[in-house]
Amino acid sequence: MSGQSQAALSGLLPYMKTYRWRIALVFCLVITVVIIDLAQPYLVKEAIDRHVAVANPDAKAIMWMAAVYLGLVLLSFGLTYCQDILMQSAGQSIVRAIRIDLFKHIQRLSLRFFDQNAAGRIITNVVNDTEALNNFFTQFLSNTLRGGFSLILITFFMLRLHVTIALYCFILVPVIVALSFIFQRILRNVNGEIRNRLATAIAFLAENLNGMAIVQIFHQEAKQQKKFDDRNKALLKATLHENRMHLLFFNITELLGDLGVAALVWFGGRGVIRGAISFGVLYAFIGYIRRFFQPINTITQQLNILQASIVATERIARTMQEQPEIAELPGASAPAIRGEVRFDHVSLAYRPGHTVLKDIQLTIRPGGRVGFVGASGAGKSSLMNLVARFYDATEGAVVIDGKDVREWPLEDLRRTVGIVQQDVTLFFGTILDNIRFFREEISAERVKEACRLVGAEPFILKLPQGYATVLSERGSTLSAGERQLLSFARVLVFDPKILILDEATASLDSETEEVLQEAIHRVSRGRTLLVIAHRLSTVQEMDDIIVLDHGKIVETGSHGELLQRQGYYWRLHQSGILLEEAV
Amino acid sequence: MSGWHIVRSYIYQNRLVYFSGVTLVVVGSLFAVLIPRLLGRFADRLQHGSLNISETASCAGLIIVFGIIRVSTGWTGRILVHRKGRILAYQLRRELFRKWGTLSPGYYHRHSTGDLLSHALSDVEVVRDVASMGINMSTSGLSMLAAAFYMMAVHVDWRLTLAALGPLVVIPALVRWLGPKIRHQSQRSQEALGSMAQTVEEVIGGIRAVKAFGNERVVIGRFEQKVDVIVAEKMRFVRLSALFGSLVPLMANLGFIMVLGYGGFLAIKSVITLGDFVAFTLYVAMLRMPLEQLGSVLNVIQRASASLNRISELLRVVPAVGNREGPLLDRPIHGDLRVERLTFRYPGTERNVLSDVSFTVRPGRTVGIIGSMGSGKTTLADVLLRLYDPPEGTVFIDGADILRYPLARLRQGIAYVPQDGFLFSTTLLENIGFSDERPDREWAQQSARITAVYDNIERFPEGFETEIGERGVRLSGGQKQRVAIARMIYKDAYIQILDDSLSAVDTKTERMILKNMRENGRLKGCSRGGGKTTIIVSHRLSAVQHADEILVLEEGRVIERGNHAGLIMLGGSYARLWSMQSGLTEEEAASLQTGLAVRVDTMHTGLAEEMEAMGSGLTEGVA
Repeated sequence: MSGQSQAALSGLLPYMKTYRWRIALVFCLVITVVIIDLAQPYLVKEAIDRHVAVANPDAKAIMWMAAVYLGLVLLSFGLTYCQDILMQSAGQSIVRAIRIDLFKHIQRLSLRFFDQNAAGRIITNVVNDTEALNNFFTQFLSNTLRGGFSLILITFFMLRLHVTIALYCFILVPVIVALSFIFQRILRNVNGEIRNRLATAIAFLAENLNGMAIVQIFHQEAKQQKKFDDRNKALLKATLHENRMHLLFFNITELLGDLGVAALVWFGGRGVIRGAISFGVLYAFIGYIRRFFQPINTITQQLNILQASIVATERIARTMQEQPEIAELPGASAPAIRGEVRFDHVSLAYRPGHTVLKDIQLTIRPGGRVGFVGASGAGKSSLMNLVARFYDATEGAVVIDGKDVREWPLEDLRRTVGIVQQDVTLFFGTILDNIRFFREEISAERVKEACRLVGAEPFILKLPQGYATVLSERGSTLSAGERQLLSFARVLVFDPKILILDEATASLDSETEEVLQEAIHRVSRGRTLLVIAHRLSTVQEMDDIIVLDHGKIVETGSHGELLQRQGYYWRLHQSGILLEEAV
Repeated sequence: MSGWHIVRSYIYQNRLVYFSGVTLVVVGSLFAVLIPRLLGRFADRLQHGSLNISETASCAGLIIVFGIIRVSTGWTGRILVHRKGRILAYQLRRELFRKWGTLSPGYYHRHSTGDLLSHALSDVEVVRDVASMGINMSTSGLSMLAAAFYMMAVHVDWRLTLAALGPLVVIPALVRWLGPKIRHQSQRSQEALGSMAQTVEEVIGGIRAVKAFGNERVVIGRFEQKVDVIVAEKMRFVRLSALFGSLVPLMANLGFIMVLGYGGFLAIKSVITLGDFVAFTLYVAMLRMPLEQLGSVLNVIQRASASLNRISELLRVVPAVGNREGPLLDRPIHGDLRVERLTFRYPGTERNVLSDVSFTVRPGRTVGIIGSMGSGKTTLADVLLRLYDPPEGTVFIDGADILRYPLARLRQGIAYVPQDGFLFSTTLLENIGFSDERPDREWAQQSARITAVYDNIERFPEGFETEIGERGVRLSGGQKQRVAIARMIYKDAYIQILDDSLSAVDTKTERMILKNMRENGRLKGCSRGGGKTTIIVSHRLSAVQHADEILVLEEGRVIERGNHAGLIMLGGSYARLWSMQSGLTEEEAASLQTGLAVRVDTMHTGLAEEMEAMGSGLTEGVA
């Protein structure tokens, strides 16, 4: 194991520290249980050598022996149960703590982290990596503990019984270990192959079920059937191979066990005849030699889990090392809020050398309504990122109500600046909770009022449970227009002084569009409005239009003025492809 | 009817293999049971002092021989049975896929893809287990138990046998009792984990909103709740599995104690020999695993019942759309389409989606169908394609009811572009040439040129060989639609239906594609005269503007019909839509209606295009 991975696992130590006494207790319990279990062949040996195969057999003694062992077995029953629960609950608590710490940490990180890391990777980090750690505690630790102790104790018992025979028996150990390793590796590969092929077949199946109408319309059922058959057959081959390997391993182990027993009979039997060892000892060896296999097998299996949890720990540690770059200054305080936004020679580069905004100079008065227009990549969204302080300007400053946003308390800033995005963020939960974003302190009445105002109430009341309707799959049951209305209602509920609107571009039917336009009017009343505009109708109504190109402001003015000037805006306008560029 | 007949008939068909497999496994178990007996005899000889070197050798030799026999027979038998089980799984999946190929969209509306996939995945797997592992384990478990019982009870002492086996036979009962509970609880903790994953996914996906609303605290609270649910569910699982994990060894140990105490006592009293005592201890250890397996076989059988019922039900579904009884018109179709007083409702529903719709399209002509969501325009396409059967005597092609054509013929004659531009995750070439076994590259390229997607494709490093979907590039909405149209063009059928297929394409490109289709839409040169029958369904007027006839649908009825100019003149619904979509004000639109309709056609084209585009609201740049 490399030093690095040891370092990764040592990151777990602080979490384990709380439970160190419990883990120590589990250690003791495991040892006790293993001893009781492994005593069986030894007990039979004792029974044979001392009580049965002697001149004056003692029936009472053997009954006593059984009675004592009965007590031990009952004890072992209780201990096994307790040990399992103690270990698992410690593991669960540790993983719970890690999960929550990790998630809290991620929530503190700034947007750059989320832009630079694919969502899937972050989700895997929080869900699967922590689950791999869970396996470390609940499977690796307890199984290696038990397996390890078993091995040690078997060795101990054997050596106690007879040193020479014990040493002969140990010859088997490297063989079993090697076999176990080889087959683990083979089986891991084979199972991986099965998973791949199964995934391929299922993906193909899923796609074809979704597109069955297309298959039928183009009358390609036979072709698709054949394609599926190829994948299905590949899967069959892989599973057959897996089965052969599995049985091969199983049977070789069994055969090896039989050979071991035969060898014991052969060598041990001669020892017994010579009187060098008793029959009981021989019996005990026969009992123990088969017990070698399972713990070794278990331990080699755990190595996969260990490896997975090391990788997982490393990944978690890496995330925990990320530092939030947007942080609140100590002693920051909010100014009186009016809603003025000023860009003071602002430049922004997400990566050094790749400037996306250059020397932006712009003032938006309180209550002003400004539309931002430009090809995609012109810097419209980046400007908005700065206002909400998702990113900090590389040069210059964004000043809201006379104060640099970096000197605002983050919470006040985000309460002052509201954003309505193109794709509306809805979570699993009721409509009511989604509008108030799960903040219990916002009353249902206020939510309903907001919905009435933006015109969302009619469609909400038409839903089976009204406001209590649970949205599933991020509100996919709602239309795009309905989702937009919900997000407008959300903005009203949170009541920001400055509103950033990333206008929806999805094709809405004309009626919905009208309702939405009306909603925008109502929502923007009394606020400073910054709109990333995609539609002619929206832009026309703005007090000012800012035309951006390659991170610079190229034109400003009202719709009429800009058309008259016959400049960039006019050309955009003329190109017949709306206000965005074509691919 | 229960689904067990699937397994029964499969086993019957393969009875020879199953019979030999089972026999071999039984032989293996019997020899396995003989080994403790050998050791017992060895012990007896030893005690009587009659043991010598050669007997030791023969005993060791016999153990080896028996070991080899038991392993090799058991091995072969198991392989035979397992193999058959896996082949059954393969066959079931094949059957399912074949069945699914015959079922129409109505079926897929009622059943989610996820549910259907779980048939192909878990249900099939459970059936496989019952037909392979179940048979192997029950065979070996039962025969071992029977053999051991015989050896112990008949040869030695039945009282000791009962005492020793008593606790052991509780084991299958334990598995039967706790197994399903543990399984259920394990599923519940998986679900809890899934629910947490969903929360994380939502939060990470909506992180901008979370940050914008300063909502981190609330989100963390929700996450903590989910984590706590996981802990609770897992602990419930742990309590069950710990109980199981300690009860099973307890039973095995109790059996051992019986042998140790009572057996030892009997050995001392010379009721049984030392060898019997030794053999007993070994049997007790040997039987634990097979008995546990017997219990899990019981569980598998129980689960398999449910799975088999689901599968056999599925295999018996009768397709809603199929070839009609009686003589069929097995002839190529040429695209003379007539719809006559078509009223349609989806099976099992009350509402008419289409009411009294009639129209005719002659070869070479184009009909546009306009309507908002829910007006029934997609349904019309469904019916023409016989994804759902229309009532008899309502839809005619080349003068004959479409119900009288074989499905294959009908669908050969119609090409279609679905609303969502559904593509498969294969290469672009295979997608465009989907209607052919081996796509023709030339035609595919030609089709791509017609739909103005050729340049986009050539710009990908692998060109037409580019994989799309999960493993390859992601196409923009507009590119997807254009590839889907190319697929339709490639098919080169007499009737072509475009269902809102240009919604993500900008107006300029839309116009170009429609023009190309009119002029060069014939690929294989097989269309004689007349040209193609085209139906364009859309909610955007620009797509149907040039059609020979335009139908305006509202709630399933044709409320207006005519050509573009005529409908503008009419000043109804169409004209209103036109003014809205072209971004004109009410007054301008009004002035258009009052006698200035000509202006629409003569209007400075650049401006007209621009207005349409602005009105339509969606472009590729954003898609």
